[in-house]
Amino acid sequence: MAEHATAQETLFALREQIARLEGKSLPALAAAEQADSAADPEGRKAKDNQPRLPFGITQMDTALEGGLPLDGITEIRSLLMGDAGATSGFALSLASYLKARQPNEAPILWIGDVVSTQEAGIPYSVGLKQFGLSSRDVLYASPRKLDDALWLAETAVASQALVAVILEIRGNPKHFGLTESRRLGLRAKAAGRPLFLLRHAGEEEASSASFRFLVEPAPAAHRHLPDGSMLGGSIGHPVFKLTLEKSRNPAPLSLLLEWNPHDRQFSLSRDAGEAFSFRNPPAHPGARLPASADRQDRAPALGAVMAFERAS
Amino acid sequence: MRLTALDEVSERLGLKRGQGLAEARAMFPKIDVVDEDGAADQNLLEAIADWCDRYTPLVALDGREGLFLDITGCAHLFGGEDALLKDILGRLLQMGFDVKGAISSSPGLSWAACRFGRGGVIADQVTAEVLAPLPVNALRIDEATIAALYKLGLKRIGDLLPMPRAPLARRFGMHLLLRLDQALGHNEEAISPRRPVAALSAERKLPEPIQAEEHILQLTSQIAISLKSELEARGVGGRVFELVLFRVDGRVFRIAAGASQPLQDPKRISSLFSERLNAVHDDLDAGFGFELLRLNVLQHDVFRISQGDFTGNGDSEISLADFIDRVSARLGADCLQIAEPKQSHVPERAEVFVPAIASRIVREKTEEIFAFMPKSDRPLRLFRHPELVETFAATVPDGPPRRFRWRRIVHEVIRAEGPERISPEWWHDAEEAEERDYFRLESEAGRRFWIFRAGHYVAGETAPTWRVHGIFA
Repeated sequence: MAEHATAQETLFALREQIARLEGKSLPALAAAEQADSAADPEGRKAKDNQPRLPFGITQMDTALEGGLPLDGITEIRSLLMGDAGATSGFALSLASYLKARQPNEAPILWIGDVVSTQEAGIPYSVGLKQFGLSSRDVLYASPRKLDDALWLAETAVASQALVAVILEIRGNPKHFGLTESRRLGLRAKAAGRPLFLLRHAGEEEASSASFRFLVEPAPAAHRHLPDGSMLGGSIGHPVFKLTLEKSRNPAPLSLLLEWNPHDRQFSLSRDAGEAFSFRNPPAHPGARLPASADRQDRAPALGAVMAFERAS
Repeated sequence: MRLTALDEVSERLGLKRGQGLAEARAMFPKIDVVDEDGAADQNLLEAIADWCDRYTPLVALDGREGLFLDITGCAHLFGGEDALLKDILGRLLQMGFDVKGAISSSPGLSWAACRFGRGGVIADQVTAEVLAPLPVNALRIDEATIAALYKLGLKRIGDLLPMPRAPLARRFGMHLLLRLDQALGHNEEAISPRRPVAALSAERKLPEPIQAEEHILQLTSQIAISLKSELEARGVGGRVFELVLFRVDGRVFRIAAGASQPLQDPKRISSLFSERLNAVHDDLDAGFGFELLRLNVLQHDVFRISQGDFTGNGDSEISLADFIDRVSARLGADCLQIAEPKQSHVPERAEVFVPAIASRIVREKTEEIFAFMPKSDRPLRLFRHPELVETFAATVPDGPPRRFRWRRIVHEVIRAEGPERISPEWWHDAEEAEERDYFRLESEAGRRFWIFRAGHYVAGETAPTWRVHGIFA
């Protein structure tokens, strides 16, 4: 009997260890914690204090169990390299959002991938400034090899000197498998710093990221006019179409998230309904080219007509 | 073909430098002749000079076959001048070099004594006596002067010493007297060392050579500890460090590592080298081990001592500097960069990438540098080189295209904003540089592009080109 009890205890200890590794709460573990907290009510609070970054959007925060984890990997994936604008935009807006809520001078680190840089360009400091990140807030790293990039990400996270690390990779490289991702995840957990894994044109892959978003481009919001109305045809705040692919919550979540660079704040896009059918535009869209944003109306074109509108 | 160098045996046979090869072969058919390789000789001499760095930081090359060592203040470290000379010559002999050496208070006298005299240590009092019996060739003067002096029967330096200086100068020029004065030590002569002298330097000599990286690092941190007090006394911290490793067989390795902030802390200095050693791992061949390690501070800066507060936030600054140093040491300074704003309205000139290790923004926490901040939106990612696109049905003369093809994909334009005209900078660009009209376009998939038209539609001329310069979020 005593032997049985010891075995049980060992098993329990192992389970506990696994649960702790995976960041889950076992029922037994939770019970034990409750017992702890009964004895020491303040200790529980400290233990429960897993750093999270709430979005302030109920739908999102519920799905993310309180917000974006700040001590682990969050993967941001796109289907195509052409969506690089949307994916890097979402990753940088997360970094900017985080930076706005952490009043310290530490920068974020952008670890670029050589080919992605050629394909989609380098983050542009003037554009970033308008996006909510000043030029001293961003360090750029351009390692030549993936191994160097992984080392860099690991060192950066472990140094605790950076608010967030964005690691850009392309596709699903063989050298960045579950082992490497697990290693990075453990580092991030130990250091309590977030790592955003930006995967361009990648497949779904097992990794130690606690959440994985699929980002697709979506039509931008209209510009606001001072009287509260919208300026039709203008290109305003960026909107991302997010799909939460991996989370502990089994219900899939898909929403349109708007980033306000000026307030550094996320919000749900207003015209969420119609935008999903955007890929099939109506046959006769009418006036497709609106007036310029900064004047009242365009004067009628003066020059010779070079080409007619499409017939069909 | 002529003989340029001889070994001991051939010298004993009576062969001379400058002798024709055919003549030498006729005299001694069995001699072994090897083609001269000037570059290899030079490399060898430089390697020996590197090795000599262990005695003094001031080592200068002298022509093709000599070295000058300025041992001012160094001799006592090796047990006096005699011991020093014996040590150098003995070690070089063990390596297989037949070397002559002399120590005196002037380079000219040493030069003369090793080439034409007996060498050794020459005391200041006996300068003239040592110099007098040497031939005038020992004065480092040109052939013509030597020939002229010989013609007059002035064969030894001793013949020149008692002569009046004015006639000598008139007849042979000032150069002869300058060389004479230099040899006598009346005239100070500077040697030109190969490397700048380190601001600070500390070394450790090892009775037993070490090979392992961790031992090297351990020693480095020990040396750094001994440097610390000196750095503190001067109120500086090192920006560029150099670790010099002397291998048992005479090879010398130099590993430099930079820091983004002045450093005094031995731990951080040695951690710089731990990354550096990782990076140069393959090039650093420990062979039979290193017998001497030296840590040089090549560049230093004022060290600002900052007092930490009780919140414990001060650490993040240090850890950021530490992170930048480690990355720069391992992957090179260019790997980690920061964009510094520049005052220019041309998009690609509005920023310049600077290594983070050298950046003013990171180091000094300067206030935001004023830069041109455009009112209109700029893309999130900018292409280094704007890429050509094919546009269809652009509104003429100054409208956006309805459709465009970029990288073989046709994008339908749903919304457009613009144009924003950006003129070239006449103070940089050529006169024919074209104005650009930028548009923000949104495609039907929701992708947003920054596209410009270079130039204008002019009747009768080829249509202007369109390029995509960046993408928006």
